Amino acid sequence: MDQETLREFESRCTQEEPPACQSFCPLHVEARTLAGQVAAGKVNEARKTLERHMPIPPLGGWLCEGPCKEHCLRKDLDQALDLPLLERFCLRAGRTLPPLALPATPHRAALVGSGLSSLAAAWELTRKGHRICLFHPGPPGASLRALPPELLPPEATDEALKQLAALKLSFEEIPKVSPLWLERLCLDFQAVFVGLDDPALSAESLGLRPEDLLLNDITRESPRKNLFLALPQPPSKRPFIEALSAGKKAAASVDRVLNGVAPGTAREKEAAGPTRLRAFPETERPKPPSRPADPLRPSPEEAGEEARRCLNCNCLECLKKCVYLRHYRAYPKKYAREIYNNISTVFGIRKANSMINSCAECGLCREICPSGADMGSFCAQARLEMVADRHMPVSAHEFALEDMLFSNSPEISFLRFQPGLEKIRWLFFPGCQLPASMPEAAGAVYAHLCSGLDGGVGLFFSCCGAPARWSGRPALTGRVAAGIREAWEKAGRPRMILACASCRLFFRAELPEIETVTLWSILKDLPCPSEKAEPERLALHDPCASRHDRATLESVRAILNRLGQATEEPPLSGRLTRCCGYGGLADQANPALGLLYARQRAEDTGQPLLAYCIMCRDRLRAAGLPGLHLLDLLFPASTFEAALERPSPGLSERREKRLLFRRGLLRKLWGESPPKEENMPEPPLEIAEELLPRLEDSRILRSDLAAVIRHAALHGPLFAQPEKGIFLAALRPRQVTFWVEYEERPDGSYFIRNAWRHRMLVPGVPGEGAESPATLEGFAAEGGRV
Amino acid sequence: MEHRLPEIKAGGWICRKCRKPLESRAVEITYMGSSFKVELPGCPECGFTFIPPELAEGKMLEVEKLLEDK
Ligand code: SF4
Ligand code: SF4
Ligand code: SF4
Ligand SMILES: [Zn+2]
Repeated sequence: MDQETLREFESRCTQEEPPACQSFCPLHVEARTLAGQVAAGKVNEARKTLERHMPIPPLGGWLCEGPCKEHCLRKDLDQALDLPLLERFCLRAGRTLPPLALPATPHRAALVGSGLSSLAAAWELTRKGHRICLFHPGPPGASLRALPPELLPPEATDEALKQLAALKLSFEEIPKVSPLWLERLCLDFQAVFVGLDDPALSAESLGLRPEDLLLNDITRESPRKNLFLALPQPPSKRPFIEALSAGKKAAASVDRVLNGVAPGTAREKEAAGPTRLRAFPETERPKPPSRPADPLRPSPEEAGEEARRCLNCNCLECLKKCVYLRHYRAYPKKYAREIYNNISTVFGIRKANSMINSCAECGLCREICPSGADMGSFCAQARLEMVADRHMPVSAHEFALEDMLFSNSPEISFLRFQPGLEKIRWLFFPGCQLPASMPEAAGAVYAHLCSGLDGGVGLFFSCCGAPARWSGRPALTGRVAAGIREAWEKAGRPRMILACASCRLFFRAELPEIETVTLWSILKDLPCPSEKAEPERLALHDPCASRHDRATLESVRAILNRLGQATEEPPLSGRLTRCCGYGGLADQANPALGLLYARQRAEDTGQPLLAYCIMCRDRLRAAGLPGLHLLDLLFPASTFEAALERPSPGLSERREKRLLFRRGLLRKLWGESPPKEENMPEPPLEIAEELLPRLEDSRILRSDLAAVIRHAALHGPLFAQPEKGIFLAALRPRQVTFWVEYEERPDGSYFIRNAWRHRMLVPGVPGEGAESPATLEGFAAEGGRV
Repeated sequence: MEHRLPEIKAGGWICRKCRKPLESRAVEITYMGSSFKVELPGCPECGFTFIPPELAEGKMLEVEKLLEDK
């Protein structure tokens, strides 16, 4: 992945941009953080936060007029947060350490005037270690002492001057200034700052002409060489925050000059203005602003109450909708950097592998994000690159890929024309999962299509190849797609009818030349096979792969309308629907998170579900939500209640159902009986009841057990406990070793007591499969570093 | 590479072929191009090694994941 791809993504996610209060603050005080700390009672930390950006805090904290208030998002709710109040509280209640200066530098600069801007500049520059001379007419800070004490208590000025003295600022009283004096100063010092907000000074007395006062907004540079200025501001222009900001910005320019850098270098971010952060604060009931008895000296309770009014402006919109994004405890911009680093890692642990594989690539974040940041495609690209570099372990996707190969093997996959026809116009493609869960319904749909559509309907049973694509293996994907294309061409290029939304996405991306429609857009125009709506209201769940498929979304609703079935749309549906966790093989790579995806969706609805993708239906059922597939309504094969509760079939059961679907239909419709080798006898197995869920979790199939037992029957098991009559056999048919503990029954059957698996290679385990992926040329010879 | 495994008990298994009780000895196990020696029970005669379920689904799985992410 190149830097540019990362930058592009990063620039979309605006979560790290400052909230409005901070971006409009001329000093960029982190008001959100400060408010949070005051709210949490961490007043010393809050003071530190203030001092990070506020020059000469003892004065600034008292005097800032709070321009942030005009932009605070809270103001639209009731009234802006009173940040000046919080700042005064921090100054009074928060302890602070004496300011520290960096090691001394040989550089010297002069400041003129002892108004707020000059003291702010002095604070900034002395802390950088420069030797700074402050020339003041009259006693230092005189203009500040002249302010009414309820605006600025005199102790604050004392404290400020004490801090500056501790920072080794040298104060030089001058009786009188003149144009010549300033000219000399500019020759003697590398840089000079004049704070004209000190009423003891004036432009004329220093010989500054109007054109000398045309300043650069950010650098405060005067056209006169080495001279930086702050201008006096009328009360309407918030003179104090302006002076603080002018002093701080001019100090940054002087510092650059002293270090031999142009004053304007890298200053873009200093201007106050709108932020790119799109904050969507939770709208809460307005809390009245805190009204402290003494607004200059709020109590901790009063300050806390005000601080808690902060809406904590953040974006994080996508996190509110995606359990995956919440799971890793940061936000997309951070994730993108972690993923980028993961890809670039040469030596060391790649910590983000699991994160990359756990995204459902469902595209919801892209719909939600105000700037369209698409974590799904970012993860997809990361998978592609890591697989290509052979840095992505195959184990996360291995089972799904093996299952795909199984569905595409000649043992399962077939294509037939409508019985009795030599040509077809349509080809029904139920996908690999519908027949694996509802084989009867899939058969009934086919019969319905044959009787309803003109021109002949073929049946093509196979897996589309989505798992290959999700796993980031383009060569493998291409091979599977080529197989489909070839079969479709041989069949005379019929229009394909797809039952699965993920298949449709796959066809559109990999097989654009094939014209496809979804089953639902066809069924909507055929006579309705069922007359009977169910009395119960069902929550309609759209699959994430259909979010942009308007025709399908509408067709499904039309079918339900015609049937008279009452449904309800969950909070997120249609374009904004959520993934069940099957997408992107998320649950394969991360079963625990996969379950959270499904639970999250189940919580959206809280009532029986109606899905029209079989994986959605089964996964949500497995997460505890009763639910139907649309075909349960259209082709009912059981009572409504039984259909709602029908469990999601296990992994082995899915394979068996695929076999049954194939054999059943081939026999019934085409009069074919399975050839001999398909009838290879399985050793008769009985599996201990309590073992079944563990086999699912470890993805050990019945056929894996059978292979181990068959091998042991021929060659003998490895180990035994003769007195108990139990045996232990192991086999490594591919890059997994299976262990099976069993008993032999007198009738020749086997009772499976326990089974487990590992991937490490241990000496002495039989099986040649050893160290290569399960086939299709070693998962098309890429990916799967072994 | 150093990967310590907890001590593994043979749990009453004997080698079916050699009829010998299993004994703990050092064997080399391999994964993702890394190999290391660990003490595991096996047949002293024919060398077949025994991997109990707790090991396969516990420590061994952990180390597999670690090596996969390397
Ligand atoms: S929605 Fe998510 S990705 Fe988009 S800006 Fe907000 S936090 Fe970033
Ligand atoms: S509500 Fe809080 S974070 Fe948002 S703009 Fe106002 S002070 Fe800043
Ligand atoms: S699971 Fe979906 S919403 Fe969440 S990050 Fe991935 S693509 Fe975006
Ligand atoms: Zn032996």
